[in-house]
Amino acid sequence: MKILQLRLLAFGPFTDATIDLNGGNEGLHLIYGPNEAGKSSALRALRQMLFGIPTRSTDNFRHPHQKMRIGGVLQHSDGSVIEFVRRKGRANTLRSGDDKEVLDDGLLQKFLGTMEAEVFHTMFGIGHEDLVRGGQEIIRGGGNVGQALFAAGSGISDLRQVQADLQKEAEELFTPSASKRAINEAFAELKRNQKELKEVELPGQEWEKHDRALRKASKRKAEIDEQLERKARERNRLERIHEALPIIARRKELVRDFSGHVDAVILPEDFGERQRKLVTELQIAQSSRDQALQSIEEGRRDMEQLEVAEAVLENGDFIEYLHQELGSHRKAARDRVQIATRRDVLRGEAREVLSRLRDDLTLEEAERLKLKKTETIRIQELGSQYERLVTRRESATEEISKLTSGEARLQKKLELLASPRPVDDLIAAVERAQEYGALEAHSRSEFSEIRNAEEPLKSALSRQTLWSGTLEQLEHLSIPSLETIDKFEKKLADAEVDVSRVNSTLSDVEAELLEIRGDIESLRLKQEVPTEEDLDDARQRREDGWALVRKAWEEGQENSVAVTRFCESVQAGGTLADAYEKSVQRADGIADRLRREADRVAAKAKLLADEQTRSAQLHRLGKQLEEARGELTQANQEWMAAWNSSGISPLSPREMRAWCQDQRAISEQMSKLTVRRAKAESLKGEIQKHLSDLDQCLQAVSEPPSTEKESLPDVIKRAQRVIKKHVELKNKKEQLLFDKKARESELQEARVKAESVEAALTQWQRDWEEALRPLGLGRDAVPAQANAVIDELKDLFDKVKEAEVIQKRIKGIDRDAEKFRHDLRELAGRVAPDLGELTPEQLASELNARLKRARSAKTKLESLVKQEEKLIQKCDQAEKRFSEVKVELDAMCKEASCAGHNELPEAERRSSMRRKMEEELKELEKQLRKLGAGATVEEFISQADEVDADTIQIKIERLGEEMEELGQERSDLDQTIGSEKTVLKGMDGRASAAELAEERQQILARLETDVEKYVRLRLASAVLARTIEQYRQKHQGPILERTNDLFSRLTLGSFEEIRAEYDEQGEAVLVGVRHGGKELVGVDGMSDGTTDQLYLALRLASLEAYLENNEPMPFVVDDILIKFDNDRANAALEVLGRLSKKTQVIFFTHHNHLVELAESSAAVSKHSLAFAS
Amino acid sequence: MSLFNFIHAADIHLDSPLHKLDAYEGSPKEELRHATRRAFENLVNLAIDEDVDFLLIAGDLYDGDWKDYNTGLYLVSQLRKLREAEIPVLIVAGNHDAASKITKTLRLPDGVTMFASNKAETTELKRIGVAVHGRSFSSAATTKNLAKTYPSPVPGCFNIGLLHTSLNGREGHEPYAPCSLDDLQSKGYNYWALGHAHQREVVLEDPVVLFSGNTQGRHVRECGPKGCVLVTVDDSGRPATNFKPLDVVRWGKIEIDASGADGGYGVVDLVTEKLSQLLDENGGLPLIARVEIQGSSPAHAELAGDVEHWANEFRSAAIDVLGGDACIEKVKIQTSYPPATGAVRSKEGPVGELNRCLDSLESDPTELLSLGKTLEELANKTPRELKEGEDGVNPEDPHWVAEMIRHVRPMLLRRLLRKGASQ
Repeated sequence: MKILQLRLLAFGPFTDATIDLNGGNEGLHLIYGPNEAGKSSALRALRQMLFGIPTRSTDNFRHPHQKMRIGGVLQHSDGSVIEFVRRKGRANTLRSGDDKEVLDDGLLQKFLGTMEAEVFHTMFGIGHEDLVRGGQEIIRGGGNVGQALFAAGSGISDLRQVQADLQKEAEELFTPSASKRAINEAFAELKRNQKELKEVELPGQEWEKHDRALRKASKRKAEIDEQLERKARERNRLERIHEALPIIARRKELVRDFSGHVDAVILPEDFGERQRKLVTELQIAQSSRDQALQSIEEGRRDMEQLEVAEAVLENGDFIEYLHQELGSHRKAARDRVQIATRRDVLRGEAREVLSRLRDDLTLEEAERLKLKKTETIRIQELGSQYERLVTRRESATEEISKLTSGEARLQKKLELLASPRPVDDLIAAVERAQEYGALEAHSRSEFSEIRNAEEPLKSALSRQTLWSGTLEQLEHLSIPSLETIDKFEKKLADAEVDVSRVNSTLSDVEAELLEIRGDIESLRLKQEVPTEEDLDDARQRREDGWALVRKAWEEGQENSVAVTRFCESVQAGGTLADAYEKSVQRADGIADRLRREADRVAAKAKLLADEQTRSAQLHRLGKQLEEARGELTQANQEWMAAWNSSGISPLSPREMRAWCQDQRAISEQMSKLTVRRAKAESLKGEIQKHLSDLDQCLQAVSEPPSTEKESLPDVIKRAQRVIKKHVELKNKKEQLLFDKKARESELQEARVKAESVEAALTQWQRDWEEALRPLGLGRDAVPAQANAVIDELKDLFDKVKEAEVIQKRIKGIDRDAEKFRHDLRELAGRVAPDLGELTPEQLASELNARLKRARSAKTKLESLVKQEEKLIQKCDQAEKRFSEVKVELDAMCKEASCAGHNELPEAERRSSMRRKMEEELKELEKQLRKLGAGATVEEFISQADEVDADTIQIKIERLGEEMEELGQERSDLDQTIGSEKTVLKGMDGRASAAELAEERQQILARLETDVEKYVRLRLASAVLARTIEQYRQKHQGPILERTNDLFSRLTLGSFEEIRAEYDEQGEAVLVGVRHGGKELVGVDGMSDGTTDQLYLALRLASLEAYLENNEPMPFVVDDILIKFDNDRANAALEVLGRLSKKTQVIFFTHHNHLVELAESSAAVSKHSLAFAS
Repeated sequence: MSLFNFIHAADIHLDSPLHKLDAYEGSPKEELRHATRRAFENLVNLAIDEDVDFLLIAGDLYDGDWKDYNTGLYLVSQLRKLREAEIPVLIVAGNHDAASKITKTLRLPDGVTMFASNKAETTELKRIGVAVHGRSFSSAATTKNLAKTYPSPVPGCFNIGLLHTSLNGREGHEPYAPCSLDDLQSKGYNYWALGHAHQREVVLEDPVVLFSGNTQGRHVRECGPKGCVLVTVDDSGRPATNFKPLDVVRWGKIEIDASGADGGYGVVDLVTEKLSQLLDENGGLPLIARVEIQGSSPAHAELAGDVEHWANEFRSAAIDVLGGDACIEKVKIQTSYPPATGAVRSKEGPVGELNRCLDSLESDPTELLSLGKTLEELANKTPRELKEGEDGVNPEDPHWVAEMIRHVRPMLLRRLLRKGASQ
């Protein structure tokens, strides 16, 4: 299969770019793309075109994934061709050449054969890195033949690395004697786990043992507890009795003493205190009553001396109000004087203003002069309107004068301006001529070139001798075509060959004939050999004789004539019998000789026959020779005739072919020149025509026509200048006319405006007169005057108004003062008629003083009344308490059975004595009850009586000792119980062993994964080694043989061959053989470059071996020669060129020097990469 | 109106670990710990919550070869809770219990009845009119038909046969205490509570003959919900059975057909999708899944070329998508090259040589065996537990080596042709 076209329709940086590999049936295709030209993208595209674009392609930076397309045209080695487009996708990625329909993947299968994408890339692709790595790997492998062959055969340049990785990864998992390996560690962990499990496992018997011990200890402890309790009880009882003995004794004494106080009355505990308190209270009540009565008496005396003025009090509020008003009254009197002055001043000023305006009017009448608001505004408006109108009239006048003078200036300019001429024809002529301007120079040089070209042709024509004539004649010379010449050449040659062939055959046959005749002669000279005819003749004669004999014998008569003739014929005289005998002898003699000399007979017969054949042959050949010569002559004549028409007597066809080719070349050049001349002539004519057009037009605008010195461009330039001049003139005139017209219309507008202003002024005068009338001003008054009058009037009315306001205020003040005085007098008349003739101010003050005095007297009286009431109450209370206390004391005497208050203290003392005794007895019994622990006092006392008081202490001590012993045992048991419980508590059904079992399963799980991985790695390693060895055995011989030649070429002969030798370990390794065959060089002794070349040689040799049995696939080379010097690169290119006879070789490079190198190599087709076609 | 109810459970296998399960980073480690114990606690709590009248355990409380007495103590501590709740427990010893040393010394609390092994016995629960007949295994390999020795039913009672048996044979289980269904039917009991087979199975509806299955799955052959049967008996004496799951973590198997996937990550998506589906189906209970990938797939070369890598990818994708609720126990890649690729596999050149070499190896047991021999050192150290069973790892077994070889081709091609694949 080879690639005819790679179409980078939409891929990576490419859009619609095509690499056409169709040209050149074979040979090396060099695809050159400088850096960034997308060389790698193109490389990828080539592979992906064949095998599909990967799902996560990154070549989508210009064309999105769904738009990506690579087209291809492939040719199978059987000649069939497929054209298709590859799109990116999961399925149906193969499409027809026009990208319109889906193609079946199977269609491509035929072209790809059993090739997989990865295998193709690896085996049929080589890059610089592969080359270097391949070489290095050979060195690292010490030239191991198997590895080198396998690596080079597959293109897997890092085979050794793969092998090493497999080995390393496996060893990282497991090495039999190591410990820090995953699998080894897992084994160790399993052991540890097993051990730990043994340790934490709890055997059933262990638990039982501790359980039993615990139960035993618990039982004994219960027994001891019971004994201890019993002893403690007894000891407690004795201790209680021991403690109770003194109490019992005291109780007995107390019971005896109590009898003396049995009759005492039991009084409450606070009786004594209460009695003492009541006596004190009785005395206090008595003295309190006496004091109160005295104070009442004193208060009543004070009251009688107090006096209160009721009328003044009744009008208190009014008196206070008037007293306060007194201040306001005084202030108003002061203000009135000031504002009255102000009023008089204002009135004076107003009168003054009025007198300036109208001396005939008083202030009161001035009201008539008041202007309405609208009138004032009207006057102000008209005033400002007047200003505007005057301004407008001035500006209109000014504008009219300015415009008039401008118009006059423009008119003058127009009159001075020259008038332009029409130049349209000239412009057209220039436009037409322009394209020929540049051609004029060309036309001139064309003529001289044509002349120069004709010279050599003419001299060539004059140098040849066969024909004479001009170049023009030569062009029309009728000579036979080259095909005819070829035909005659063949025909003549054939005829000559025929003649010479027949001639040589003829001379051969003649020689043979001569030889045959010589042989015949020599046979004859040796001895005449009888022939078959001789024998037949003799036998015939014998038969004739026998007939005569028989006739004679049977008939008894002889034909004498016949006998005589017979005898003569046998050259025997005598009788018939003699003759016959002789004839028989002769016949037998001949027969004998024939038999005896059969060989010579046969040889002679053959020679004779040959002679006959050769003669016939000779004759035929003679005829053929004649014919051949005739044909040759005929052909010569035809050859001559073919040239008749040209009048040339031709030489041999070969010479004539050369002559014809020369003449034809001259003739072709001549006809080309003729065409050129015709074109040049026509161009010259055109130029001339345009020149005369221009002249005509120039004259039309009074310009001089062209001179001989001026070229067409010169004339065109001059004409353009003329055109420019006239066009500018015309534009200027138009501009002036336009400006003048504009001025005229502006002037018209200005005049209209001035008239309208005048009309407005007249109207204004009428309105102004009307508006001024109320002011009493004449029509000539200006607006400023009117405004002054308006301001004066305003001032006047402001003052009048202010004076009126002040007058109203004075009236108010007078009214208030009168009311104040009246109120005061009326009040004094009512409440203090004695005051009579005082001023209002004095009156107000006096009344106020009286009010204060009256209020103070009243307050004091009220306080005395309240005090008296309280004292009376106090007196009553003291009286009441006195009698209450007395009643209580009487009741107490009765309770204590006493006759009088003085007996009460003694009764109280006896009572408390009895109570004390009773309490002590109760306390003693309480203590006894407590010590008796549930027994009654009598029972307990009788128990105590039973015990021997002298031994009780000893008994108690003995019991204590016994208890201590038991306590010790009990505490020992407690310890046992505690420890057993702790042990058993540890046996709590915990899951630590179960956890270890779980952990074991986890280790096993990891181990399983690792073991599987390890086994796969080991198996892979083994399978690979086995494959490498098998491949070596099958292919070592043929591939190394091919490698020799390639290696020698690539190293420019510095190595003669490469061969497998066995090293010390018995491994087959590669060694190079130096030129001359004497020096062996191991791979470690080769330079880097040499190992690169060795690897390349091995790759190419393997590839060639592969191609022998398989469909060829294109070999894709990615810049492998960048480190090669020119000679070696040349050698490599040549080697690749040779490979390209077996399969297509596509060489990508971005090194220009390689392209240049390849220029010298014929077998290279070159292509440049570009992003678009 | 229910007359009484009880729970039928069996095959507790306390402290039996989850087989060959790697608690890798991100897997539900806590959920995986003490799974059998926690399932048993679920059983005890269920009995108390449902306030059942009694609890039946049809054998196999623990693994026969398990020696740690703590397991027994733990059992007792749990049974005590039932005693406190006044729920009687009736147990027959199964083959594992008979083999166990724990059984011999363990003192069961009051209220727990362990049936004798020398003869069949009957325990009557008079309050509710129930008679339970049972007989324990005396030794592990009991091949006697125990059912035949069971007594006649007690008249007027609801009769229950409590029996540890393989019946007429159960796949994957030893044929212990064999008996026929007919043997059981002919006894005239109302309910046969069977143990031994770990797969729950209603053998017969009337009378009910039922294996409750084990309470917690421990390996991939014990997939799906595991638990006990809650039986309610109504006035008419008809038992109604109701399965109650008890397991704290569930086993499942995911089979992926990768023939449609064009790459490893496509398969990752399929795995997480199925895993999440399975998780949903099991109500979010923590899940342990075996993943098996099959089919002739374009992803084969990628997957089989680096099995461990993809197993890790599946696991981390499962963590990403499902959090810590599911863990992948093991990934089995059983895919093959797509038919198209198989046909165009290179036959020439060094790669062709490799293909041929592998082709011939795959079909040559003696060669496989000799390859296996090179792994002897590993095989000798490999513990027995790892070699046994259908998942066993055994370098001495040609079938196993052949299985490994199937992954060698893609692995080698991937490594050798990485330059070709990088384009």
